[in-house]
Amino acid sequence: MKLRFLLSAVALAWPIIHAAGAAAAPTPPAVAGFTLVKTLGGISEHTLDANGLTVLLLSDRTAPVVTFMVTYHVGSRNEVTGSTGATHLLEHLMFKGGLNYNDAKGNSVKQFLEGIGGNYNATTWLDRTNYFAEVGSEHLEGYLAIEADRMRNLWIREDGRRPEMTVVRNEFEIGENDPTQALDKEIFAAAFQAHPYHHPTIGWRSDIEKVAIEKLREFYDTFYWPDNATVTIIGDFDPAAALGLVKKYYGAYPKAPHPIPQVYTEEPEQSGPRRVMLQRAGELGTVGVSFKSPAGSHPDYPALKVLGIIMDSGKTSRFYRALTDKNLTTSVNAEPGFFHDPSLFQIYANLAPAATHEAVEKIILDEIAKVKTDGVTDAEVATALGKIKAATAYGRDGSFAIASKINEDIATGDWTLYFTLDEALAKVTAADVKRVANRYLNQSQSTTGWFVPIITPAPAAN
Amino acid sequence: MKCPALLLPALCLLSAVVFADVAPNADRQSINGIDVVALKTGVKDVVTIRGTLAAGDSRSPQNNVALADLAAGMLDKGTTSRDKFAISKVLGDVGASINFSTDASALNINAKCLRADLPMVLGLIAEQLRTPAFSAEEFAKLKKQRAGDMKRALEDTDVRANTSYVRAIYPVGHPNREASPEEFLAAVDKATLAEVKAFHAQYYGPAAMKLVIVGDVEPAAVRTELGKVFAGWTGGSAQPPPAKAGSVDSAREQDVFMADKTNVSILWGQATQLRYGDPDTLALRVGTAALGSGFTGRLMANVRDKEGLTYGIYSYVGNDTFTDGDWRIGANFSPELLSKGIASTKRQLIEWHQKGITAEELASNKGKFVGAYKLGLATTGGMAGAVLNTLNRDLPLSFIDEFSAKINALTLDQVNGAIKKHLNPDEMVLIKAGTLPGAVGK
Repeated sequence: MKLRFLLSAVALAWPIIHAAGAAAAPTPPAVAGFTLVKTLGGISEHTLDANGLTVLLLSDRTAPVVTFMVTYHVGSRNEVTGSTGATHLLEHLMFKGGLNYNDAKGNSVKQFLEGIGGNYNATTWLDRTNYFAEVGSEHLEGYLAIEADRMRNLWIREDGRRPEMTVVRNEFEIGENDPTQALDKEIFAAAFQAHPYHHPTIGWRSDIEKVAIEKLREFYDTFYWPDNATVTIIGDFDPAAALGLVKKYYGAYPKAPHPIPQVYTEEPEQSGPRRVMLQRAGELGTVGVSFKSPAGSHPDYPALKVLGIIMDSGKTSRFYRALTDKNLTTSVNAEPGFFHDPSLFQIYANLAPAATHEAVEKIILDEIAKVKTDGVTDAEVATALGKIKAATAYGRDGSFAIASKINEDIATGDWTLYFTLDEALAKVTAADVKRVANRYLNQSQSTTGWFVPIITPAPAAN
Repeated sequence: MKCPALLLPALCLLSAVVFADVAPNADRQSINGIDVVALKTGVKDVVTIRGTLAAGDSRSPQNNVALADLAAGMLDKGTTSRDKFAISKVLGDVGASINFSTDASALNINAKCLRADLPMVLGLIAEQLRTPAFSAEEFAKLKKQRAGDMKRALEDTDVRANTSYVRAIYPVGHPNREASPEEFLAAVDKATLAEVKAFHAQYYGPAAMKLVIVGDVEPAAVRTELGKVFAGWTGGSAQPPPAKAGSVDSAREQDVFMADKTNVSILWGQATQLRYGDPDTLALRVGTAALGSGFTGRLMANVRDKEGLTYGIYSYVGNDTFTDGDWRIGANFSPELLSKGIASTKRQLIEWHQKGITAEELASNKGKFVGAYKLGLATTGGMAGAVLNTLNRDLPLSFIDEFSAKINALTLDQVNGAIKKHLNPDEMVLIKAGTLPGAVGK
C-alpha cells in the first residue's frame, strides 16, 4: 500500500548493531518438518522442508506484542518495460481479498487487523515486497493464517485492478508533487541505462495505467511462492508453537513449479559524468550529486556508510559547515544506497534562498575532493561510530523497528547483515573512508541533477 | 581511534510495563516547579525524553508572530558556555539528540540517548533552555534559515491546505490559528535579537513546563539530576485557556492555487469547541474513526477502494490537547478527479452525519482504538508521547490505564449523539490546494 521512494527509504538503511553470539542465544526450537539452518545473535533461521520457505525467529516474551512479516524476493528490479510498477500494483491487489478471506465474509486482512487495532502495512521497493503487522500476541495465528492464504489464493481480477489503478496513479501523482522525488527519478533513470534500477518502483505513469490484469496474474504466479519468501516473527511468541503455525498454514503449498527467475542484467561501466535538469514551478532549487556505489553486501559499503555520516550528520558535519551554516542550503543529505545490486551514493542539497546551483554544486565537489586528498580524522570516524552505536540501541525499541531493519537485510541478500554489518562498521578506519572516497566518488561515475524552480505568478481566485 | 563498545547483549525488547499499569509505575514529581514523570521500562539502554513548555507560537505578540519560533531556533545555536559545534559534538559522539521546536501552544522538547548519557543530556537540555547565547551572528543565520524553510514548505500542497484551513476555522486570537506565510516571512525579516531575548525572558521557565523520561531509567537518579540542573531556575507562565473557537465568517470553499502540481490536497471540516478531556471527545473520536480511519473506514472503503478516486483519505479529531480543537477530512485527488472525489466524499460525510454509525462499526472501532493504543505504548517514544499528552490534557496518569475501559463503555447513542451535537456539514469549510482545474494565472 505504501511505496517508499528513494529518499525516504534511505532512512531504513540505518544500521542496527548487535554482536553475534555476545550473549547466550536461546536454544532454537526443533520442530518436525523444519531444518535448522543457522542461529546468530538470538535469531534462528529455519527452512520448511516441504516447500523451501525460510523462517526467521526472534522470540522475546517481555511484552505482549508480536510482529509478523513476510518478505517476497521480488521488487521493481524484476520488472521490464511495459510492466514497470507491476510489483507495487500487485501489492495493492493483495488487499482485495481472496477465496477464503475477503470483505464479504467479514474476515479480510484489513477487517481483521483493524478490528484488533493492529499496526499493518505493505511496502514495495527495488529488491523486495513485504507485508507485515504488529499485533497483540494473542492474534498471531489469526494474522498468520490470512497472510499465508493470500500467498497463493488471491483474487486477481479486472474489477479489482481498475479502481486500484487510479489509486496507484494518485500515489504516483502525490510523489510527483514533490520536486525532489521527481528529481530523484530523473537521476536514477540517467545513472542506470541497462539495470532495472533505471525505473522507479512505482513505475512509469503509462505502465501503471495500461498494464493488463493477465500480466499481474503472471507476476503473482511467478514470484509468490514459499521458496521465494522469508517469514520473520519477532516478539512475544513460543518458537516451537510459531513454527507449528507456519507449517500449518504455509505447509499447504508446494514449491514453485518453476525456477524463480533471476535478474542477470548488469549495468555497463559508466564512462563519463551525466547531468539532468528538472524545471517546474517551485520556490527553491535542489542539487543532487550521485556516484555509482557497491551493493549493500559489498565489503566497501560500511566505509561509505561512515563517510555519509561524516559528511551530513549534525552541525559538525562537513556539509553543514560548508553549506547550511553559510546559509547556502536548508539541508544536505549524503548516504550510500543499501540494496541487492550496485546502486548510488547520493548527496542531496536543498538550496536556500539566493543560493545558486553552481555555487552549491562546486562546494559539494570541493568537500569531496578534500576527503579524497586529505582524508578524514580519527575523531570524525569515532563520532560516526558513536552515532551508529546509539542507533543500534534505538533500533531495538520495539519489534516493529527490528522487523523493518531485517527486511532490508533480507532484500540485500543476507539477513545476517543485521549483525555482520555492525561488526564491519566497527572496524572502519579513517584510511578506509579515504580509500572508498577515492574509489567511488569520481566524476566519471557521477550523475548530477538540478531542480530549477520556475517562479510562477500568483493565480487569480476562481 | 576510539573503538566503541559493540559487544551488546542479544536482542531484548520492551518489558511488560506497558499496559494497564502506567500510573502505579510512573514516578511523578514536581522538581523545581517542573512537572516530571519518569517511567522505567524493560528496554535496554534506550531513553526517550519528551517535554513541553508554554512558549508556543501563539505566545508571540501580535506585532511579531515569529518570536516564539525564533526563540526556539536559538536554543541549539550555542549557550553562554559553549558554541553550537561543541553542543553538536558532545551529542554526536554518543549518538544522542536534543531537538526543540514549536507548535501552536508549546515549545516541544524531544531527546533520545543511551542510559549512560542521560545525565549529560538532561544537563544540556537545562543549559540550552536557561542560558542560550543569543549570538547576533547566529541570529542572522537563523532568520535566513527560517525564511528558507518556510519557502520550501510553500511547495507542499498539504502544508498550504493546512495553513488555509486553520485560518478559516479558528478566529483571530485562537492559539490554533496560524500566521499566513507572508505574515510569518515578514515577521522573521523584521524580528530583532532584543525582541527574541525579551520573549525568552518572559516565557521560558519551570512554570507550566512538563518533562517525561521513559526507558532504561532510574527515577531516583532522574530526580537528583533534574534537581541539580534546574536549581534556581524561575519564571515562565501557564497559558491562560482561550475562549473556545466561535464561528468564523470564512468562505465555505477556498482555493489555494499552486502551479505544476499533479495532486490536489483537500481539507474539509470545522472547529469542534471540544478539548480532549471534554465528555464527548472519545465518543466523537470513535465515530470519526468509523468514517475515516484505516481501510475499513467508510471513506477509504468507498472513495478509494470502490471508486478509485484517491490514494488516501481520512478523518480525525485533533489539535485539542491544549485547547479546543477541530474535526477534519483530508484527502488527495488528481486534478481531473477532484470534482468526483469531492462529490463522493460529500456523500459519505452526509450519510454518516445523518444516519450515524452502526453497532457493528462501533464494535470494530472500539477494538481498533484499544488495540492501537496498546501497541502505541510498546516503544519508549510511544509511551513518552502518551504520558506527555495526558499531562498536557490535564488528565491523571490513570487515564492511560483506564483508556480501554472508557472506550469499551461507549454506547452507540453517545457516539452518534456526539456526531450530531458537535458537527454540522453545512458549517464546514473546504480547502483545496494544488493546480486546480479552471484556475487562471494572473
